[in-house]
Amino acid sequence: MSLLKEAIKQVLKKPVTIKYPFEPGIVPPGLRGKPIWDMSKCVLCVLCQNACPTSAIKMIPKGPDAGIIYWLDRCIFCAECADACPKKAIIITNEFELADFSRANMIYHYKKGEASQKK
Amino acid sequence: MLGELINLLIFPGFLFLITISFIYEWIDRKFFARIQGRYGPLYTGPSGVLQPFADFLKLLSKEDITPAACERTIFSITPIVYTAIPLIMLSVIPLNGRAIISFEGDIIFLMFLSAMVTLSVFLAGWSSANNFSRVGSVRAALQMLSYEIPLGLSMIGPAIVVGSLSLSKIVEWQIEHSAWFLWLQPIGFAVMLISLIAELERIPFDIPEAETEIVAGWMTEYGGRKLALLRLGKNLELLMASMLISSIYLGGGVQIYFLPPLVVLLIKSVIILLIMSLIRGIFARFRIDQVTSGMWSYLLPLMIFQIMLIQFGVD
Amino acid sequence: MSYGSTIKIPVGPQHPALKEPEYFLLEVDGDFVVNVKPRIGYVHRGLEKAFENNTYLHDLYLAERICGICSHAHTTCYTQAVEGLTPLEIPPRAKHIRVIMAELERLHSHSLWVGIAAHEAGYDTMFMYMWKEREIIMDLMEEISGNRVTHAINTIGGVRRDITDEQANKIRKFLDRFESDMKGYIKALENEPTFIKRTRGVGILKPSDAIATCAIGPTLRASGIKNDVRKDDPYLVYDEIPFNVIVNDGCDVFARTIVRCEEMIESANIIRYCLDHMPSGEIRIKAPRTFPPNESLGRVEAPRGELIHYTKSNGTVKPERHKVRAPTLGNLLSVCKTLIGAHIADVPLILAGIDPCFSCMDRILVKRV
Repeated sequence: MSLLKEAIKQVLKKPVTIKYPFEPGIVPPGLRGKPIWDMSKCVLCVLCQNACPTSAIKMIPKGPDAGIIYWLDRCIFCAECADACPKKAIIITNEFELADFSRANMIYHYKKGEASQKK
Repeated sequence: MLGELINLLIFPGFLFLITISFIYEWIDRKFFARIQGRYGPLYTGPSGVLQPFADFLKLLSKEDITPAACERTIFSITPIVYTAIPLIMLSVIPLNGRAIISFEGDIIFLMFLSAMVTLSVFLAGWSSANNFSRVGSVRAALQMLSYEIPLGLSMIGPAIVVGSLSLSKIVEWQIEHSAWFLWLQPIGFAVMLISLIAELERIPFDIPEAETEIVAGWMTEYGGRKLALLRLGKNLELLMASMLISSIYLGGGVQIYFLPPLVVLLIKSVIILLIMSLIRGIFARFRIDQVTSGMWSYLLPLMIFQIMLIQFGVD
Repeated sequence: MSYGSTIKIPVGPQHPALKEPEYFLLEVDGDFVVNVKPRIGYVHRGLEKAFENNTYLHDLYLAERICGICSHAHTTCYTQAVEGLTPLEIPPRAKHIRVIMAELERLHSHSLWVGIAAHEAGYDTMFMYMWKEREIIMDLMEEISGNRVTHAINTIGGVRRDITDEQANKIRKFLDRFESDMKGYIKALENEPTFIKRTRGVGILKPSDAIATCAIGPTLRASGIKNDVRKDDPYLVYDEIPFNVIVNDGCDVFARTIVRCEEMIESANIIRYCLDHMPSGEIRIKAPRTFPPNESLGRVEAPRGELIHYTKSNGTVKPERHKVRAPTLGNLLSVCKTLIGAHIADVPLILAGIDPCFSCMDRILVKRV
């Protein structure tokens, strides 16, 4: 019975839930979402690969494929790589709706000297 | 003859009642959700009004599983019985000014049927050969032992005043004297509301299907079409309970200016439904022994006191 | 009433009352439990071995994933243990931020638990209200740290993110509202006859039994024993903060609910004090990658009770041994004691009463020979 007053108050108020997939979710500015690499700044120093706790980043030092391979499905979004990067080449975006039907779509290949590219 | 058949099957008979019962479920869910600060059903139809119907259709299309260990016949028949009984009970209630079936003593008939509902629940749980179902069905039977007598007495109270055991006569008496039994016998109304909530297995008396203790209680093994029927039966029971209480205590269906009796009855029963949803929102669940002892030590003496008041002419 | 013979009822590994797989074999006489045999180890994840195969920094993220609810408590405890290897003094501002996050986490964990307890008692509206509050706390933590659950704000040698003035004001504003709302909820719980009927006198744990079975955290405090790592063995800046250890003499599930509710208000006060007395300056210092051979123990009062991380280094980048003792393991024996004599219908409520987190607990694999 003790909740009666609160219950009636709630009925008259707007519900607190949001209709999430149909209206945008709440994204605070500091959210750690998908990291992206700015390859114009990247110097292929391997620090992000070493910093990654889940081996989601692999650096290829030379050859035609030289650059960064990033497995989104392994990533835990800790942003350790961005902290480790000496050139601030890794940008942590706010993007968080990253689900996909195929793991193959979740491998990103950033080639040295090219814009971001999906593999 | 055709008129009778339309009355029974279409309006205001079975088809109409089933449709209305889905809308009642929607009202219940929506109001319960709003109490908790949620939206409730939202996307199927305007404000999700078709959601209960969509759930029903979805369940109909699902695979129908009968456990190998269960009593096959009883297990399959009980959902049908469970759905049919509230429909029969509804046909005794004067919906559109008059009832589809009406005879002297139909209140006794109603009591018998409401006991049958619980009996079918017990059989359903017992036949499904599942520990959770068995516990749930035993709890349902125990709960019936506790609420059945106060419920019966609360129906008898108005009948004593009217001097008839017919539901239609009780409604007519209230229209004639333009007095509701709610004001004449407030204790009886409260007892009937509580007992009906117990019969409907809603919070705080949802012990037979206590989700966190025994999964879905007596319904645990049911799925597919059978579960769809059980849910329909539950909705019809909800509709029946709210209409029964508004017929006995709130004056039932009566013509007010241009409003036909049926609409008045619906409005009254929706108010009862909202009260029941509110109660569902603000209480925790009792334990079965607390219900049994509480019903026998508080509800029954209260109801006997009410009947004594009637007998001494205080009304 | 006794029926002479007992029957055995299994609760778990799959049971609606348990959110995680764990097995309790109840010996039941009539409607009353006479004996309980727990069996743990269903969610053994091999974490301690995994700790040995990763570097200290990577282990931090492993420690964070031991528990989904008290993730910050685990990292705090882990960093405390690792920083103790070469006594590493972290900046005072970092300590304050850690405390603020820890207490926010306590708010969120306790409000989650009160919701669960209400749900077990069939009090669904209270469940929704408490989780509504929890959602706001989660959003606040997301704004501070960058993620709702795995905050990743702790690092060896400090914290990774600072709390800005704007965020501090937001927290203060939230706390004022939360405190008044919480007091309303406490009043509602104390005055709800159905909830009291289900919880008062249910799951009695006598103080002597609580000590004998090594109960910890709110379970112990609800038995009237003052025990809190924050007070007994202060870490971070808890020795500077004035706060009360909440105790209750009820010894039942209701007392556990009230202890947790009042702890939330106390936590709100701690956060306020920290925000007001936060020194400026650095938030992290550079931590070494390798630690000299040493061993160290971290003790933290997690929302569920005392949490222990023990680590042993051997001079390399990886720990030689890491041991985690999650609070639920300490409370498991006490809950078995509590269950004896209870109604079967009360078993879920009593089990939920210790705020179990079985996945955190399962380090041990019992081998039947």
